[in-house]
Amino acid sequence: MDQFLSLVVSAVLLAGLYAAMAYGLGLIYGVLRIVNLAHGGVIMAGAYTTWVLFTRFGIDPYLAIPIVVPLAFLFGVALYKGLVRFLPRGAAGGVQSLLLLFGVWLVMQNVAYLLFSGNDQAIRTSYSTRGLSLLGVIIPLNRLVVFVIGLLTLAVLHVLLTRTYFGKAIRAVAQNPDSCTLVGIDVERIYTVTFALGTALAGLAGLLLSTLFAFNPSAGAVELLKSFVIVVLGGLGSVVGIALGALVLATVEVFSILVLPSFLTSAVGFVLLVLVLVFRPGGLFGQRVLS
Amino acid sequence: MRTLRQRLPEWLTPWALVAFLGGLGALYVAPLVLGTGAYLHNLMGLTFMFVAGALAWNWVGGYVGQISFGHAAMFGVGGFVSARILLATGMPFVVGWIVGGLVAGLFALLWGHPTLRLRGPYFAIATIGVGEATRLIMTYWEPFTGGASGVSLPIQGGVNKYSLYWYGLYFMAAAVAVSYYLRKSRIGLGLLAIKSDVEAAGDVGVSATYYQDLMLFLSGTFVGIAGAFYASYFSFIEPGDMFGFQRSISFVLMTVIGGIGTILGPALGAVIFVILQEFLIASYPELYLGMYGGLIILIILFEPLGLSGLLVRIARRAGYRPRGQVAGGGVGSAAAGGPAATSEAETTPHMVEEKT
Amino acid sequence: MLTRKRQRISGAALLSLLLLSACAPGQQGSEPEEPAATAGSEAAGSEAPGSEADVAADLPDEIVVGATLPLTGEESRIGGFYKEGYELAFELENEDGGLEVGDQTVPIRLELLDDTTNQATAVSLAERLITQNGVNALLGTYSTSLVEAQSTAAEQNQIPYVNGGGAATSIYARGYQWVFGNLAPIELLAETEMTWIEEQQEAGNLPTPAKIAVVWENTSHGKDFQKGITDFVEASEGDYEIVVDESFELNGRDFSALLSEVRASGADLFMVDAHLPDYITMQRQYTTAGMCHDVITYGARGPEADAREALGDEGVAYILSAVWWNAQLGAEGINKEFVDAFTAKYDKEPEWYHAVSYEAARALFTAIQEAGSVEPEAVRDALAALEMESLLPGGTLTFPEEAGFQAQYPFVVQQNTPEGESPIIYPEDAATGEGVAPNPNCAEG
Repeated sequence: MDQFLSLVVSAVLLAGLYAAMAYGLGLIYGVLRIVNLAHGGVIMAGAYTTWVLFTRFGIDPYLAIPIVVPLAFLFGVALYKGLVRFLPRGAAGGVQSLLLLFGVWLVMQNVAYLLFSGNDQAIRTSYSTRGLSLLGVIIPLNRLVVFVIGLLTLAVLHVLLTRTYFGKAIRAVAQNPDSCTLVGIDVERIYTVTFALGTALAGLAGLLLSTLFAFNPSAGAVELLKSFVIVVLGGLGSVVGIALGALVLATVEVFSILVLPSFLTSAVGFVLLVLVLVFRPGGLFGQRVLS
Repeated sequence: MRTLRQRLPEWLTPWALVAFLGGLGALYVAPLVLGTGAYLHNLMGLTFMFVAGALAWNWVGGYVGQISFGHAAMFGVGGFVSARILLATGMPFVVGWIVGGLVAGLFALLWGHPTLRLRGPYFAIATIGVGEATRLIMTYWEPFTGGASGVSLPIQGGVNKYSLYWYGLYFMAAAVAVSYYLRKSRIGLGLLAIKSDVEAAGDVGVSATYYQDLMLFLSGTFVGIAGAFYASYFSFIEPGDMFGFQRSISFVLMTVIGGIGTILGPALGAVIFVILQEFLIASYPELYLGMYGGLIILIILFEPLGLSGLLVRIARRAGYRPRGQVAGGGVGSAAAGGPAATSEAETTPHMVEEKT
Repeated sequence: MLTRKRQRISGAALLSLLLLSACAPGQQGSEPEEPAATAGSEAAGSEAPGSEADVAADLPDEIVVGATLPLTGEESRIGGFYKEGYELAFELENEDGGLEVGDQTVPIRLELLDDTTNQATAVSLAERLITQNGVNALLGTYSTSLVEAQSTAAEQNQIPYVNGGGAATSIYARGYQWVFGNLAPIELLAETEMTWIEEQQEAGNLPTPAKIAVVWENTSHGKDFQKGITDFVEASEGDYEIVVDESFELNGRDFSALLSEVRASGADLFMVDAHLPDYITMQRQYTTAGMCHDVITYGARGPEADAREALGDEGVAYILSAVWWNAQLGAEGINKEFVDAFTAKYDKEPEWYHAVSYEAARALFTAIQEAGSVEPEAVRDALAALEMESLLPGGTLTFPEEAGFQAQYPFVVQQNTPEGESPIIYPEDAATGEGVAPNPNCAEG
C-alpha cells in the first residue's frame, strides 16, 4: 500500500512536469501545424540560461522565471521571423518544418557545446533535497513546486485561450486561417505570437527541468520524444487535453514498474504512442489525423 | 531486326543502361587500376553501403512521401539477424545478409502497415516511437543482441574486408537499379497517383495500401541488408549504435541534404555525409553538428531539392536542357527551386521530385 | 500485371548478381593491405616512418603512436582527461630524448584524433592512422563500446593496441592477440567492494544474511558490475540475498518508481553502477525521498567534485566507491613521481583516468624498449610478456593471456566522509582511513 501511494504521488508530480514540457509543442502544432523539433533544443537552452543566471548571478531558479520566459519568447519571435515564416503553410509544410527545425536544433546543440562544453551541469539550491511528508509519503519540494507551476501554467493558458481576444484569435486561426484574414485578424502576427509563446513555454520547461535533473547540450531529446507522446495522447483539442495526456503517460510509466523490468518502462511511452496512433489516431480524446 | 531500344523493357532507356553499366564497370576496376590505399578503399565500400541505405530510405521518404525517423530499427534488425546467423551457422555471408534484410523488411511491414495510413507528420512521429521502442526492447533482449555488450563476429573466417568494396558496389548497384525501376515503371506512376489524390487513385484500381506496403518492405529489406553489411564490416555491433536515434537521423540527413525523391540525391548526400564525417570532422570536430544543421536549414529554405537540385539548377544555367517529363518524375511540380505549390489535398505531405 | 516482365527482370538481376559475385576480386585476395606502402595514399601531414616491410632492421627517425579520443561528444569530459594522461607520458619520455630502442634513442610522438564519441569514426580513424599515417602502434580510446569496436581494426591490421579505456570483459573474450587493456574488469570492482562488505559482515557491523538491491546502468559496465555481485553472492552460500535486480537507461530522469521499488524491498545494501549524471540525479532523489541504507555505493562514482557540488557533503556522505587508482596512493615511489609531475604540469590533482591513460602509454613504451624494435610482432610479444612496475594497485602491471590480455589487480575502495574527504579504506596496505558500516545516517531513522 505504501508503495502504491508513493507511486501515485510520483505519477502525479511527474505529470505536472510532463505537461509543462508538452504545452509548447502542442500549441505550435495545433495552430501552425508545425512540428517543432527545436523544442528539445529550446528546453536545453532554457536549462542552461537558468544555470548561468544561478551560477553567475546567484538568482534562484524559480525567481528567474520572469527573465527566462521572456527571453525564450523573444527567441521564438526571432526564430519565426527569421526562418519559420518562409515555410509553406498547412500540412504541405509539415515535413519541411520538421526538417528545418531539426536543423535549428542541431545548431543549438553545437552552440551549447561551444559555450559550455559537453559536461553535465546541475543546479543545487539549499532546498534541492528537501521534502514534505504527507500521508507517509515524502514529496520532494522541487517536484511539488514544478507541479504547481505546471498547473498554474495550464490555468493561465486556458484563460488566455478562452477568455482573451488574443486567445480566441489564436483558436480561430487554428481552425481556418483564411477566414480569419477575412474578418481582419492579422494571421501572420498570430502565428508569430503563437510560435513565440510555444517557445516561451519550452524555455519554462527547461527552467523547471534544470531544478530537478542534471543536463548537458544533448539534453532535450528525451523530453522532445515524450512531448510527442503526450501531444498525440491528448490530441490537439486543448491544453487540458495535454494535461490529461501527460497524466496518462506519467501514470503508465510509473506503474509499469510493477509489471515490467525497470529498464523497459522507458519503452512503454513509445509503445503507447504507436498504439494510440494506430488505433485511436485522434488521441485518447479525439481529433482527426487521418487522410 | 529490333533495335536495342525496342528490345529493352519500356521503362529502361539505352542511355540509362549504358550509364549504369559504365559506372558499375568503372567503379569495379577502380581500386585495381588506381591502387588506392586500404583506408580509402574500405571507406568507399562503406560509402556504397550508405548510398544504398539512403536510396532505400528514399523509397519511403521520397517516393511515397512519408518521412521516417525510425529506419534504424530495420538497420539494426538486419544487422543482428545476419550476425546471429553467421555465428550460428557457417553460411556464406551473403546468405546472412539477405536473410537479415528479409527479416528487417517483414519487421518494417509489421509496424508500417498500420501506421502508413497516417498522414503528415503523424507518421514521422510514429516512426520515432517505433525506433525508440525497438531500441529499448532490443537492448533489453540480450540473447538476441547481446544487450549492451553487443555481438562480435570473428575476424578470421569472417568476410575478407578487402572484398567488401565489391559487395558494397553490387549492393549499391542493386539499390540504384531498383530505384530506377520503381521510379520509371508503372509502380512509379502508381505512387504518383497516390500522392496526387489517394481516392481517385483508388477509383482506378491503384491501391495505396498495396503500393505503400511494397515500398516499405523493399525499403526495410535494403536497409536491413545495409545493417548486415555494417556488421560484417566492423565485426562488432551493439544495439545503442545500431538502433540509435542518431542512426535514424543519418538516413534523413543524407537524403535531405542530397535531394529527396531523386536517385542522384541520396547518392550525393551519402557521399557528402561520409566526406563530412571523415575529413571535416577531423579538422573541426567542434562544429560538425552545426554544419549539418546549417546545411539542412539552407537546403530547406533555398533548395528543397537538396544539393542535387542545386546541381541541376547550375547545369541548367550552363545550358543543359533536361529531357522532357518522364513518367514518375515531377510530381505536381514547380521546376527546381522553391517550395512547391500545394494543389493537392491538404493532408498529403509533399515532396517535389526532380525531372531527370 | 507485369508478372512475366517482372519475372524476367528479377531473373536477370539474380543471374547477374550471382555472376558478379563469383568474380569479386579479393576472393583470392588474402592479406589486407600493406601499411602505407601503396601509391595513392594521402598522408595527412604526417611523417610516416616508411613502409614497415622494408625497414625490418632499421629504426625510424621518430616513433609515431596513433590514438583517438572522444574530445567532443558525450564522453568529451573524460576524453579530455585521457588526453592529459597521454600527453604527460609522451612529454616525460621525450625529455630524456625519447625511447631507448636497441642502442639508439628515438623521439616519440602522439598522433591524436577526435573520434567524437562515435564508434564508426573511432574505427575508421584508427584504420586511417594505421594505413595512411603508418603508426607503429595504437593507444586506445575511451569507453567500452568505442574500444570494443576500435580494437577490431587493430586486430585486423595486426598492430599492437594498448588501452586504458575499456574495462568490459567482452572486449577481451574474443581471442584477440593484439589488444591489451590495463583496466581491471568491473567484475573485480564489484568483487572488491563485496569483499570489504564481507569483512564488515564478519565483524558484525552488517546483518547476516544481508539483502542487496542491485541497480545498474544498462551498459557493458553495468552488466559486469551486476555479474560481479551475483557471482559473489552465489559463491557466498547464503550470506547475501539479492532482492532487487534492475537495470536502467543512461541519462535517466525520473528514478522515483525504481527507488520506491527498492524501498519496498527492505534491502540493507544499495549497490548501483552509474555514470556521473545518473549518480547525481539518483542520489538526489534518494536523499529527498528520505531513503538510507547500511551501505551505499555507486560503483566507480563517489568522490567526484561535481557530485559534491551538486549534492553537498552531507548528501554524499558514507558513499562507497571503488576505482582503479587514486591520488592517495601517491605517497611514495613512482606513484609520487607521477602525482608530482602531473600536478606540476596541470595544476590539479590526478584522478584515475589520468593514471590509467598514463600507464597505458608507459606500458607501450616499456614494451617497445624491451622488444628493442618497433616491429609489430616484437612489440606485441613484449606486451604479452610484460611485467612492469606500475602505479596501479598491486604494484605490477601484466597482461595475462588467460584473461584475454586484460590486467587483473585489486581496486581501491574509498568512502566519503561527511567532512568532505574520501579516504581509501581497502585494501589495508593502501588504506588511509577507516571504513564505516553501517551507515550512521540511517540510525537517525
